[in-house]
Amino acid sequence: MAVDLSVQMGRLRLKNPIATASGTFGYGLEFAEFLDLSALGAISVKGLSLRPCLGNPPPRICETDAGMLNAIGLQNIGVDAFLAEKLPELHRIRATVIANVWGDTEEDYVGVVERIGADRRVAAIELNVSCPNVVKGGMIFGNNAELLKGLVARVRAATAHPLIVKLSPNVTDIVGVARVAVDAGADALSLVNTLVGLAIDLETRAPKIGFTTGGLSGPAIRPVAVRMVWEVRRALPKIPIFGMGGVENVENVVEFLIAGANAVQVGTANFRDPSLAGRLAGELAEWCAAHGVARVSDLVGTLRTRPREDHRFA
Amino acid sequence: MAVNETLRVLRTLHYDAAHYSLFLQAGTIGAATRPGHFAMLQAGDGLRPYLRRAFSIADVTTVAGVPALEFVVKVQGVGTGALGRLPEGAPVPVLGPLGVPFPTDDLGPSDRVALVAGGIGLAPLVLLARTLAARGLAADLYYGGRNENDVLKRADFERFLGPHRCRYATDDGSLGRRGLVTDVLAQALDGGTSYRRVFACGPLPMFRTLAALLERKGLDASFAMESEMACGFGVCLGCVAPTSDGRFATICKEGPCVPPSFIDWKRI
Repeated sequence: MAVDLSVQMGRLRLKNPIATASGTFGYGLEFAEFLDLSALGAISVKGLSLRPCLGNPPPRICETDAGMLNAIGLQNIGVDAFLAEKLPELHRIRATVIANVWGDTEEDYVGVVERIGADRRVAAIELNVSCPNVVKGGMIFGNNAELLKGLVARVRAATAHPLIVKLSPNVTDIVGVARVAVDAGADALSLVNTLVGLAIDLETRAPKIGFTTGGLSGPAIRPVAVRMVWEVRRALPKIPIFGMGGVENVENVVEFLIAGANAVQVGTANFRDPSLAGRLAGELAEWCAAHGVARVSDLVGTLRTRPREDHRFA
Repeated sequence: MAVNETLRVLRTLHYDAAHYSLFLQAGTIGAATRPGHFAMLQAGDGLRPYLRRAFSIADVTTVAGVPALEFVVKVQGVGTGALGRLPEGAPVPVLGPLGVPFPTDDLGPSDRVALVAGGIGLAPLVLLARTLAARGLAADLYYGGRNENDVLKRADFERFLGPHRCRYATDDGSLGRRGLVTDVLAQALDGGTSYRRVFACGPLPMFRTLAALLERKGLDASFAMESEMACGFGVCLGCVAPTSDGRFATICKEGPCVPPSFIDWKRI
């Protein structure tokens, strides 16, 4: 049985729903010896800023149960170096590139997007309004409806590229935040960035991470991410969604699709097994064939919920 | 060129409760390994420990005639504990060889070098000792630990380098000189001994002392640095160290073997 793996996310068409998440895949090229970059649905590159960024002082990472904390602080080579040194090779090998962008201010975000301009080698822009590991910008935009609305609207006006907004799970009402982003012009959403966490060295009583808190990722956060994808899908039936948070295998991919994601991004698992993302599309086709699913898009948002009945008191 | 492959456990040799050598099939990694390279090893089912662990490839050798990679491991936590309990034949996902190895290509047969190890920092120096010996270079070993049990694989070092070239120091005096290995080296240097290059691996305090000593003596050196890593190939940016030119450099990609002048010792 031939399975159709392609997905249409607004104007963005992917050959399959397996993408890789920003911050876990470098600029893509580092993985060229471990998988076929052109066979991935898309690659969201390390968050790009207007100027190169040194990131936070170490220690930046620590392992936790079924996951890890990080506070890298968005270290990157800057958008100009990316366009000059990385994008030509990514384009030559026919990778589908999502440019993840961030800034301290609205002007910074707009500046990065303007540098990318109408460059067709970039398939989409992903707005990072959800990094918890910087003192300015990042999550501060994503957790404030007014700031988010203003930022998305300005970036929307500054680019003709498909615009994805990557949201933070560190909010009470993910649906409310998602609505603000979509109403302000987002074409798609990425759900979710890392959860803010803290790990402590008992001997020194110091945080294990130099930034004190870090972003939790890995299988530990998957149920939270799946729940948020489901909530947003219920509220916004049409919006294209990238689901992410602890994708480790094909079953996890299918779970996100059923919850309502059109595609997934593989994140922290890329560190553990740099070949993994390259295997998942094939395994997804096999899973679909074995379950009589002709088109992968037929899985999206097919969660069968039971009505919540209240029988607590007789 | 790194390879992501699954290699089977050939043998585990426990020295004491805290130290062991893990021998894996050499796979295609073995032939590509040079002294100072490291590999990322997955222990367990991928939940606990979640990430692979970085280890120096201590030696490329054989176990009962089968080509093998040797990793010398100190039990420190979940990952090092789990790896030591793997039975013979267990599959271990391995990514390697990784990083910048020790610079040795420019050394000639008349060059004399020193190897300085602290505790588990012997790991990258075993293959280096084997390689230098095979090339006929004279190498002196300075190896320190808290006590005799911390000073591992002495027989191998003495076989490769010659027993008269191996000097030990322990905190409690149970082996060699009582005191720090850097003091033993300093004494040799003060006595007129000189080296074309000093190769070292050990804990941060040893590196600090050694960096200052070697700078004072004007000696060239390469340090195999250690850092907690998530990926091992330059993408997580978690293992960085502050550099003397004001950056944060990945130990996995720009290292692990770097000249001491590369590191900002005041900020690390």
